[in-house]
Amino acid sequence: MTTAEIPFKIDIPDSKLSLLKQKLALTTFPDELEDAGREYGAPLADIQRLVARWRDGYDWRKHEAELNAELPQFMKDIEVEGFGTLAIHYVHKKSEVEDAIPLLFVHGWPGNFLEVRKILPLLTAASPDHPSFHVVAISMPGYGFSDGPTKKGFRFPQYAEVANKLMLALGYDQYVTQGGDLGFFVTRKIANMYGGKHSKAWHTNFPRLPNSSPPKLFSRPLAYLTHILTPYTEAEKAGLARTDWFEKLGRGYFMEQSTQPQTLGYGLTDSPAGLLAWIYEKLVNWSDDYLWDDDEVLTWVSTYWFSRAGPAASLRIYYEMVQGNERGHEDTSIPLGFSYFPKELFNVPKRWHKASNLVFESEHTAGGHFAAHEKPELLVNDLRAMFGKGGPAFGIVPGKAGYR
Amino acid sequence: MRCFWNMTRISELIPVQNSFSHTSTLATMAPQETPFQIAIPAEQIALLRKKLELTVLPDELEDAGREYGASLSDIRRLVTRWKDGYDWRKHEAQLNTELPQFTTDIEIDGFGTLNVHYVHKRSDVVDAIPLLFVHGWPGSFLEVRHILPLLTESSPKHPSFHVVAFSLPGYGFSEAPKKKGFELTQYAELGNKLMTALGYNEYVTQDGCWGHLVSEYYHPNNRCKLRGEHSNAWHTNAPMAPPPHPISRPLLFLNHLIFGYTPKEKAGFERSLWFRNKGNGYYHEQSTQPQTLGYGLTDSPVGLLAWIYEKLVNWTDDYPWDDDEVLTWISIYWFSRAGPAASVRIYFEVNKAYPNLLEGATSKTTIPMGYSYFPKEIVKLPKRWLRAPNLVFESDHTSGGHFAAHEKPKELVDDLRKMFGKGGPAFGVVHGRSGYDPQSRL
Repeated sequence: MTTAEIPFKIDIPDSKLSLLKQKLALTTFPDELEDAGREYGAPLADIQRLVARWRDGYDWRKHEAELNAELPQFMKDIEVEGFGTLAIHYVHKKSEVEDAIPLLFVHGWPGNFLEVRKILPLLTAASPDHPSFHVVAISMPGYGFSDGPTKKGFRFPQYAEVANKLMLALGYDQYVTQGGDLGFFVTRKIANMYGGKHSKAWHTNFPRLPNSSPPKLFSRPLAYLTHILTPYTEAEKAGLARTDWFEKLGRGYFMEQSTQPQTLGYGLTDSPAGLLAWIYEKLVNWSDDYLWDDDEVLTWVSTYWFSRAGPAASLRIYYEMVQGNERGHEDTSIPLGFSYFPKELFNVPKRWHKASNLVFESEHTAGGHFAAHEKPELLVNDLRAMFGKGGPAFGIVPGKAGYR
Repeated sequence: MRCFWNMTRISELIPVQNSFSHTSTLATMAPQETPFQIAIPAEQIALLRKKLELTVLPDELEDAGREYGASLSDIRRLVTRWKDGYDWRKHEAQLNTELPQFTTDIEIDGFGTLNVHYVHKRSDVVDAIPLLFVHGWPGSFLEVRHILPLLTESSPKHPSFHVVAFSLPGYGFSEAPKKKGFELTQYAELGNKLMTALGYNEYVTQDGCWGHLVSEYYHPNNRCKLRGEHSNAWHTNAPMAPPPHPISRPLLFLNHLIFGYTPKEKAGFERSLWFRNKGNGYYHEQSTQPQTLGYGLTDSPVGLLAWIYEKLVNWTDDYPWDDDEVLTWISIYWFSRAGPAASVRIYFEVNKAYPNLLEGATSKTTIPMGYSYFPKEIVKLPKRWLRAPNLVFESDHTSGGHFAAHEKPKELVDDLRKMFGKGGPAFGVVHGRSGYDPQSRL
């Protein structure tokens, strides 16, 4: 049942801009150990430079206008069982191709709807050589300009419910999804709850299967033999080292956010420098030597600073998913596609993955966690290959093959 | 089981020192004590107020309680008080009156000279036992405040102590190290050099952490023997040990399989599990990305307040914190010489230097050891896991948590008096300093 779309333009009040400036002007910086580099966290020189730019020079209004021009945005009230109505912010762009494939893009943390920016024109472009998509990029509750939930217990089923209801309200009874980071978990939940009926296939750049660990002798004897007899390639070794690094040194944020998000939230809400550092460290460490432009970073972080629900709200999903035990094993049955980027945080040998519904795999030699932002062409090529003519999920949405 | 970093039994790790004569520097004041008074510049107080005035608070989920972290109503109330009403100068003056403070330069191998801030109070009893009190995180030298008068007071009925409570480098008004790699060995070196500089060639230590586990596992056996020359005994209110294991602790493992645990022990497990599942997020961030965390702690008073206050509440046993008491505690961090970001680096350094600290470590300390058990300590293990040949003193309490010296000063001091007093298992452990006046040494 389609409901009307209410256009939305980002328009941060002047009072918020001036408060930000006041706070930036009062920023107190810590010191740093000699030769710390990035080993102890976000480097002082970077943060000082970014704060100075944010205070003098960075022009939010200019970037706000660009976002409004590039990304057609809307608001819609969605009712969530047990949680009342949430105002949901989303980007929606239709392709000229009428039978384009409806695609729901779900961001993660510390990402947001901005991550659709570069892939949007590529996905919606029309061509006889590849499929086109109608794209919906939702701001998850607690992110961007969506409301945050006000009650405890808003978990993946609720995020999935919001997303599915949004797609249905836009007239997309059947669709496919793309997601990474938390978007992986949300789209997996969508696949479980609405797979077959509404969600027809799902693609992720965060390839994490519940059984993605070395094959065990008794459960997968042939795979086990291959595993112990075949040496790892250099790329695989690098991937395992990356995974190990993240496990040992990269998950502090996760441990705090999933146990005491409110405690962390005070500093992120009150200190622009604190919020900047918390996010910037991940933008650098999780990407593959991506050349962040200072204003690019500041726009990204400003979206958190100016978010409707405030930055503290964005953390609570971690608490809910861990305390609600939601990251474990979940089989899905609809077709699944993986894109492997070498600097993703979880990068294990492909042969460890086993899923009967894994119909598409694509491996890359560059790119990290923020695939849509770092490698938009590579990601879109993968989606075109998976869903286009000759691809394993061609025509998966009946009547919407993606071509004229 | 992951552990927390509070403070170590730093004196456990004292590296080999030159031998001193035991009778050398007994009665006189140590040379070169430079008195210190806390005197925070007016500009710093003004800046704090400006920042507090600009505080932006997050929202909170309905009925969140303390489940998601420090509660909004508490933090809002504390921020309001800190901004209007809390009088730092008054508390600063009280601290200066109650706690005789000093600074001194200490040279640390490979790190140059650090100016160290400490409290030093001597008992009237000349032969009082020198005691080094070591605070942890998020504590400070303030933690000696309640126990100081009790420890130094003289009586024929119990031993007295000369007390030194230093601010760890990066805390309070001590300088912080500038280079990477300042870990347990360095803290131990510093503690020992401070005590010997003050004329305390032998002493005992009290602290609240798992120093136990950072003992011989990482240091050759000969250090342990030699260490007896300086630190003669130690007492902790936060004992730790690795769990029963079929290979590394087989007898205990057998015991574990055969005998059950008491309700009190089970409650202890629950407490430990709570800490492991909900309470050690700070530890993971501080031990991996301390600089990232440091920006918010340095720039936002409410950010720092919440980060610490959550622990003051969760780690204590329903201690009725007074708002000004909390704000004084936090202000020490806010106004600290090195800034709050410096205080969390110790977690990184220790985690890096000893990545497998808790796995397989068994106590190989040999100097007499004493444990005080408080029910709300954040890691509570069954006593039989903690027993060791040199554990000479144990004391059980029915209330109290992690900040024992602050919450239960009388109980903690009673324990120390029992352990070190006449008839106690560690009586006379420091040569020539029994803790009593000669005429009462009957």
